Amino acid sequence: MNRQAIEPSLKKIILFDILLPMVLLILGIAMGFLQILYRAGVIHSRSFLGIEYYQGLTLHGAINAVVFTTFFAVAFGHAIIRYYTQKPLLLGWAWISLIAMTVGTVMAAIPMLTGKASVLYTFYPPLKAHPAFYFGLVLLVVGSWIAFFSWIPVYRAWKREHPGEKTPLALLGIFTTFIVWFIATIPVAVEIIFLLIPWSLGWTPTVNVPLARMLFWFFGHPLVYFWLLPAYVMYYTMLPKLTGGKLYSDFAGRFTFMWLIAFSAPIGIHHQYTEPAISTTWKAVHAFFTLLVAIPSLVTAFTLAASMEHGAREKGGSGLFGWWKKLPWVDTDRWMFSYLFAGLFLFIFGGITGIVNASYNLDNVVHNTAWLPAHFHQTVAGPVFLAYIGGSLLLLTTLTGREVAMKKLNVWIPYLWTFGVMVFSTGLFVGGVAGEPRRTNLGLSYMNPGSPLYQPQWKFSRLFGSIGGTIMFIAMLLFFVVFFATALRKKTREGALELPVSEPYHDEHVPALLSMRPWIVIAIVLLVIAYTAPFLELAKARYEGAPPYAPDNPIAQTK
Amino acid sequence: MLEKRILFAATVFILAVAGVIALTVRLFGIGLPNCLTDVRPFREAKVIEHAPKRYEIHYVARMWQFEPADVSVVPGSTVDLYVSTADVTHGMQIVGTNVNLMAVPGAVNFARVKFDRAGDYLVVCNEYCGVAHHNMAGRIHVTEAATAPPKPPPPTVPLMRGQKVLDDNGCTACHSLDGSASPGGTFKGLYGSTRQLADGKTVTADDAYIRESIEKPEAKLVKGLDPIMPALPVASDEITSVIEYLKTLK
Repeated sequence: MNRQAIEPSLKKIILFDILLPMVLLILGIAMGFLQILYRAGVIHSRSFLGIEYYQGLTLHGAINAVVFTTFFAVAFGHAIIRYYTQKPLLLGWAWISLIAMTVGTVMAAIPMLTGKASVLYTFYPPLKAHPAFYFGLVLLVVGSWIAFFSWIPVYRAWKREHPGEKTPLALLGIFTTFIVWFIATIPVAVEIIFLLIPWSLGWTPTVNVPLARMLFWFFGHPLVYFWLLPAYVMYYTMLPKLTGGKLYSDFAGRFTFMWLIAFSAPIGIHHQYTEPAISTTWKAVHAFFTLLVAIPSLVTAFTLAASMEHGAREKGGSGLFGWWKKLPWVDTDRWMFSYLFAGLFLFIFGGITGIVNASYNLDNVVHNTAWLPAHFHQTVAGPVFLAYIGGSLLLLTTLTGREVAMKKLNVWIPYLWTFGVMVFSTGLFVGGVAGEPRRTNLGLSYMNPGSPLYQPQWKFSRLFGSIGGTIMFIAMLLFFVVFFATALRKKTREGALELPVSEPYHDEHVPALLSMRPWIVIAIVLLVIAYTAPFLELAKARYEGAPPYAPDNPIAQTK
Repeated sequence: MLEKRILFAATVFILAVAGVIALTVRLFGIGLPNCLTDVRPFREAKVIEHAPKRYEIHYVARMWQFEPADVSVVPGSTVDLYVSTADVTHGMQIVGTNVNLMAVPGAVNFARVKFDRAGDYLVVCNEYCGVAHHNMAGRIHVTEAATAPPKPPPPTVPLMRGQKVLDDNGCTACHSLDGSASPGGTFKGLYGSTRQLADGKTVTADDAYIRESIEKPEAKLVKGLDPIMPALPVASDEITSVIEYLKTLK
């Protein structure tokens, strides 16, 4: 496909969807850097520059993992739907979506920045945030739903005009992304609207914490597939083209997407292995379903490696490993390759450690330790983050008709980031197995030689964690320089939409994978199987409710 | 089709992983906490020695301490741990063992652990529970000498500023510095004042009283205040600096 001129209004929407979270990301990344300074015992203090440790941690998680990802997924969705259907979108709804998401973000940001919502981005009750925080989250989610719903009639119209044609893989991937997101966000909407908001406003005195936690994790795991899927869309539809070849198997892509619709949600209890109030039977069922979700990732690893090999051999590569030399490692014209490949490399380790986390009783060793942030910095801060910042830069350049600034530097940024993540994660994996807790201001106690809790045996992990984290921070500073320098330079041609598009090498016809409907039905059936009994167990046990607590006060806030 | 064979291989691999997990549960009995519905959430910490080397501990997790904070058992002991929370969600990991439990409001969690090796086991709260979460820890001493836990080594750092110690440990959450009403009473004018205790006695707030109140908050309860203050792991010299600081709050 070629360059397509798009409506100026849509261009504005997509650019705003990218620029707003990119500006916020500067704060999110800075907060990440401060985390490692506190945790390494460089800062022995409760707060730094007026921002308290746990407040900074909340900002880091909320901006990087919720705001940035949701905005990018919507922007990317607009672009993919517009590009592949070649039909105008429903711009009125796209504007409403953008406004709702922006207002929601501002509403949630104010209590976070003023220290009234230091509850981390998982906002577990009975720690209570300011009600505006919860309202903001709801608006952000509803805004993303509006964008999703507005694409459905456009896609329907495309199908009517192309009877008998396979839906392009990219469109299928975006719809998969938002179907997973929609399924995921219903339980968290129930948690926030029916449990947390009335409770935070003082209308209900207590909240059922085991119920709230189960609803949260019903959302929390499909959430990570919502993050991952836009990256998968780029891997399947862009990466083969960038290597100069074709997608090895169209079937693998469709299988991966459809399998993730079915299996990404009935597995949330694997985050709750060490909790009371859930029986081991259902923990085991969720463990088994979780392992099944690894299958498409293994298939993806094979397919993408095969696609890259095909591309490299097309370019004249040969030998068992010799073709590796023909990949566009630092090709400034195909710079997106380095963002996607570096993320894939991290995902090998992120995927393996994910299987460890999912492995039922192994979780006893790593649950809530530093192992967890090590794992998700190789996944969310690996393939997801690199694809999203690369994708943001790609959309910026094509839509505004600008060339990437500092091209040579740009292709190296993902490798520097990846090196940083590997060092950082090595430290945190080692620390996690040795019992070092996550989400903890270690600098005041466990990493403070003056404290009776001082744990010198965690020093090694802290050293690696802080060196790796510093490298990651430098990589991101360089990225911001490249990104904003690109945004500010002169344009070289008219802005338009142009994305790399891979063709399939094997274009198999597998009828079961052509329609999303049966897979949505399977997803619902699996959810009913996986969650009916656990919810009934909770209802039967009648757990005593909990009054709200402020993070800085051990006395409940009761009237 | 190669991709179909890969799909098959991936499935076999995943089923094998599931099989190994099932074997470890069956053969070695390494499990996860189950759902307990026959134990009511409790607020009273207990250490019960049912028989030699057979203990039951009721842990109460609260912002920001474990009760009991220190427990001593002899090597080879099997310990049944029940964990309840008095306020928010906490985590409880006994570093160096497979015990890793969430303390969730409304429910009671359980694990059984056998301590074969002697040593001091650190008990860490590994779920964020508020501003002083990083201070929430306890110890289990596995020692032949049982009962008397060894004293922590004397601190070697220079004096920290008292105000910072108060801030870092979350003290100011309950104790205001400016005389305004607060759940634990204000620090303003505290030093040297006469305190009315719950048992009817009076005491002067001198160095010894303040030190004891930080180390053992339950020792001298002030009349009208709830017995909710945690014993925080604050070093001796930090307490000295707090006392010096409190003297300045006239």
